[in-house]
Amino acid sequence: MAPLLRIDSRDARPIWRQIEEGVQHLVARGALPAGAVVPSVRDLARDLQVNPATVSKAYQRLTDAGVLTVRRGEGTFVAAAPPPPEARREDRLHDEAARYASVAITLGATREEALSTFETAWRSLTDGAAEGEAG
Amino acid sequence: MNPIALEGLTVRYGARLALDQVSLAVPEGAVYALLGRNGAGKSSLVRCLLGEQKPTSGRALLLGRDVWSERAAILSEVGVVPEEPDAPPSMTARRLSRFCSRLYPRWDAAGIEARLKRFGVSPDTPFGKLSKGQKGQVMLSLALAGTPRLLVLDDPTLGLDAVARKAVFEELIGELADRGTTVFLTTHDLAGAERIADRVAVLSQGRVVLEEEMETLKQRFRRISFPNSRKEAVARLETLAPVAVASRGWEVEAVVSRYDEERLVREDEPEVSALTLEEIFIAVTGAAGETGP
Repeated sequence: MAPLLRIDSRDARPIWRQIEEGVQHLVARGALPAGAVVPSVRDLARDLQVNPATVSKAYQRLTDAGVLTVRRGEGTFVAAAPPPPEARREDRLHDEAARYASVAITLGATREEALSTFETAWRSLTDGAAEGEAG
Repeated sequence: MNPIALEGLTVRYGARLALDQVSLAVPEGAVYALLGRNGAGKSSLVRCLLGEQKPTSGRALLLGRDVWSERAAILSEVGVVPEEPDAPPSMTARRLSRFCSRLYPRWDAAGIEARLKRFGVSPDTPFGKLSKGQKGQVMLSLALAGTPRLLVLDDPTLGLDAVARKAVFEELIGELADRGTTVFLTTHDLAGAERIADRVAVLSQGRVVLEEEMETLKQRFRRISFPNSRKEAVARLETLAPVAVASRGWEVEAVVSRYDEERLVREDEPEVSALTLEEIFIAVTGAAGETGP
């Protein structure tokens, strides 16, 4: 898993948050399937060269959120049925939309122009693909 | 009790003030990085911390006791990796281990052998024949073998290549994972410090100019740049406490120390980016240099 996770010191997010969101992302896109073993705190800390307390904090939050489960004596695993990341999904949509809107405003686009550009981009991505873009 | 507490530590060499009323506390379990440019006072601070030098005034408490008056009793619970690895050149790591085992109550001889093996250093090579990196690795192995409550590392990766540096960090991370030892380190390796330290202090001209948790530090500093045509926008950043302003090509940029998104003036077209610890360090120590005596 470690090569899939990256720590970026230019990222404004704290390292534990980068790990937390990185794991969530890997689980969400299926790179870490339900039941998969995740590295121990110690191993991941060594791989990423970060403080184990930082990894531990990220794992704790992921466990609290139901993304990971700890089986005593066995290790840490991806939870059998990760909860639907509804709240997170909404947050992300909102953040990304805000980013796009701010770029559009900065470039002096009108609301209509921004919406139609978005519409075009959406179509170019979904055209020809199956409509099952639900998740 | 804080494993390290410095109280008004002052060191004066004749007319020169090397440390000026330095007070700081390292909480239990912290990984604490002390940063500073050459000549900032780091070496004087570490010497006082290890009871090698008597401060002109103030005091250094290690594990709750004054280190200058109780050095011998305290240091058996502290692991030290000095900046200049120093041991009799003819002694092998194995003999050094046997020698040190008599000084420390909880000596882990097997741990040393395992660490040296991971470092790829032979325990039977005389100390004088080892490279600088290997000497440092022997020192770290010896420091950890005492199962210390507190580990003091004086620039442990200075002069090491990338591979040796990684090995040192991995050993340190293993120790933190296993025992949660409190660590105090000085370093020039700001990228390494950024990933491992949870608290940081910056020393500049003998004073602590910054002391806080890594996370809050990184949250409050930002680089904000404007197109050159909006130079006057920099003046509107006053409430964000700018510490450095520079003109670069077609941009003017400021490093602010109290970033607050709400206070940005959107019409100024600010571009905001996060800073690495190294960039924060340069902004802070550079600014102190300009306004200093």
